[in-house]
Amino acid sequence: METAVTGWQGLLELEFAAQDGATQLSRSTMQAPLKVQRPFFPEGDRVCHVVTLHTAGGVVGGDRLSTQVRLGPNAQVLSTTATAGKIYRSNGLTAAQNTQIRVASGGCLEWLPQETIVFDGADYRQRLRVDLEDDALWLGWEITRLGRTARGETFASGEWRSHTEVWHDGKLLWVDPQQVRGGSSVMTSAHGLGGCPVVASFALFGRRLDAFSPDLLTQVRQFHPSSQLPNPSPFDYAITRLQSGLLCRYRGSSTLESRCWFTQIWHLLRPPLLGRPGYVPRIW
Amino acid sequence: MNSEVALGGERLLRLLQLASPALPVGAYSYSEGLETLVTREQLPDAEGLRHWIEQELAVGAMRLEAAVMVRVYEAAIAPELPDLHHWNQWLSALREAEELRLQSWQMGRSLYRLLLDLDPNIAPLLKACGEPSDFAVNFAVVYAIAAAHWQIDQRAALLSYLHSWVSNLVNAGVKLIPLGQTAGQRLLLGLAPAIARATDEAIALPADEFGACGWGQAIACMTHETLYTRLFRS
Repeated sequence: METAVTGWQGLLELEFAAQDGATQLSRSTMQAPLKVQRPFFPEGDRVCHVVTLHTAGGVVGGDRLSTQVRLGPNAQVLSTTATAGKIYRSNGLTAAQNTQIRVASGGCLEWLPQETIVFDGADYRQRLRVDLEDDALWLGWEITRLGRTARGETFASGEWRSHTEVWHDGKLLWVDPQQVRGGSSVMTSAHGLGGCPVVASFALFGRRLDAFSPDLLTQVRQFHPSSQLPNPSPFDYAITRLQSGLLCRYRGSSTLESRCWFTQIWHLLRPPLLGRPGYVPRIW
Repeated sequence: MNSEVALGGERLLRLLQLASPALPVGAYSYSEGLETLVTREQLPDAEGLRHWIEQELAVGAMRLEAAVMVRVYEAAIAPELPDLHHWNQWLSALREAEELRLQSWQMGRSLYRLLLDLDPNIAPLLKACGEPSDFAVNFAVVYAIAAAHWQIDQRAALLSYLHSWVSNLVNAGVKLIPLGQTAGQRLLLGLAPAIARATDEAIALPADEFGACGWGQAIACMTHETLYTRLFRS
């Protein structure tokens, strides 16, 4: 029997190189629907900013999207996305997104995509693997809304899986194999999502985090999510130290709330870890 | 489902020693987030504790810890020493709350040293995971290696490990909530089907199905680090 090839086979390969203190996008390969906009330098030529986008609007069953990002020695990159990601209800096939990141020593990648909205009935698997060499640094967040809750939709069926691995010089530092089946007991139980449609994680990794002082951790802990809304929904959050890293977890109902909290921590840590002040991408 | 096991007398006795609360690894000093829940008044009674433990076994990190123990047991039998190293590292990476990671390493280190003393022939298997001075060998890994080395049936080893883990959490709940001793024992007995189910699922779980969801559990464990008063170390 013939197997029909359906869905997009999207590809994005980006390579960044630093020379004389300036970082450039040195090579890029694109295959629809993935695309990168022209890099820009709002903080000067030291940090290369890029915005990636999904030109088809959203991910459907059968899509295979693959992204590879490589930073050469000392390259400094901030990457975000143009819009929120959307994962549509499945047509019976699984949608998959694979991202591989490699950062050479002295390099730093700030990986700050906008949130992903997983529609009811979506069947989605994403994998993210980060490899850090020597004194490389990676920080990134992942903000996910399960169900289009603004329309009263819940994630009643389908499956969301997100597998993240962070390696440093061949040693696995963190593995985060998340799995939520739509409509299952984990969505409501206090042990799982506790009825919260939004889950978000912000992690930072690098050898520099080994020397992370208790003082700095105390400072990080003064921040907490706070809602801008008149009738805030309950949320829960916490911070812990990982092996050569730091992790912030949030479960609640507002993607904005989680991103504002993460941004406060990101801005606090940017000067001591990266030697540059906080910055807010205009696209948000 | 087949949770039947048969063990010869000496193997049964070794397993009882391994799973005993008297094993000097200090399990009683850890609550794995329960202290946070009780402090925040989110765990009022035995029913709440039963639900919490059942969820952790069915969909939480414990489901993956048990599945990793299956891999470790098989790698120790083979023996495939690089696999032992890999799965120990994997479990350290999975235990994200710092206190849980330190708990797993502290208990692992204690059992590691004890086993080296009791049965020096086990040394090559343990050393494949790391030296005890690395402070990074997980209790579940050492336990699975001991069970394999002593040729204890895999299913029996997993059942006993999970039972001893549940028993410890129930005891923490008895102290914290608090519950009567009889209520605790009733709870433990009632959790037997959940333990058997988790064991069978761990043995059958393919590696590409390793997934879990325990945001409430993770946040409770991470929050424990900043609780004002703490009786437990996690």
